[in-house]
Amino acid sequence: MSANITLKPRQFVMVLSSAAAGGIVGTFLRDELVKLDHIPSATSALATWPNQIPWPLLIINFVGVYLATRLLRGPLRQHDPNNLTRVLVITGFFGGLTSYSGLFVDLASIWHLSVWGSILVALGAIVSGVVGGWLGLVVPRR
Amino acid sequence: MTLLLVCLFGGVGCVVRYAVEYAVRRHHPTRRPWATVAANAAGCGVAGYAAYRLVGTADVRLHDVVLTGFCGGLTTFSSAFAIPAILQREHHWGYSLTLIVTTPLLCGGLFALGMSLAH
Repeated sequence: MSANITLKPRQFVMVLSSAAAGGIVGTFLRDELVKLDHIPSATSALATWPNQIPWPLLIINFVGVYLATRLLRGPLRQHDPNNLTRVLVITGFFGGLTSYSGLFVDLASIWHLSVWGSILVALGAIVSGVVGGWLGLVVPRR
Repeated sequence: MTLLLVCLFGGVGCVVRYAVEYAVRRHHPTRRPWATVAANAAGCGVAGYAAYRLVGTADVRLHDVVLTGFCGGLTTFSSAFAIPAILQREHHWGYSLTLIVTTPLLCGGLFALGMSLAH
């Protein structure tokens, strides 16, 4: 794979625009999907650490890893990292759709209720990422 | 209006992450995604600072724009695990495992540092 290391100014602007466009769509989708699940405030009397688990974000992150791995092993395999389609889809869309910082914000809320609960959810998120990547490599095997 | 700003700042976060990756790749041509790790760690640091500063704030819009928008766009969970999976398939087991282990540790550390700086 020959990577296009240095871009001309016009190419660079095009690639940045792709990252922005993909990021806007991915962020929109994440924001809307996360709002589907109403999580009680961590300071509410009803709050327990299990009902603070950010299931929508965990599922979004898992699906994002699976699909990104599949695309990087399949249709986008030969594309260099500055390719417009790859930047639009992988850097922009899946980068905006999935979030590491959002996970840590949610883990901080759980931490206030249960340190072990927070560690358990963090480990679950990491395992789900590893499994998502593995599934992206092996399912479906052609 | 808030949703529009969240989405726009999500796009800005992605652009910053790509620019960091591009700058690093230009000077150090490599397939190892350390620039992505750095962007994730920096994004978590900013999120930690902002989460502490903006907790309980009346300005929900600012909270959403910074945390859901900018930090969400700057950090990526998909590449953080997709790239190690591909490196593992290419028999780079050491790099793959190092990325999987170091990214959450760095992100957690920077998130905690951000919170303590905001304290």
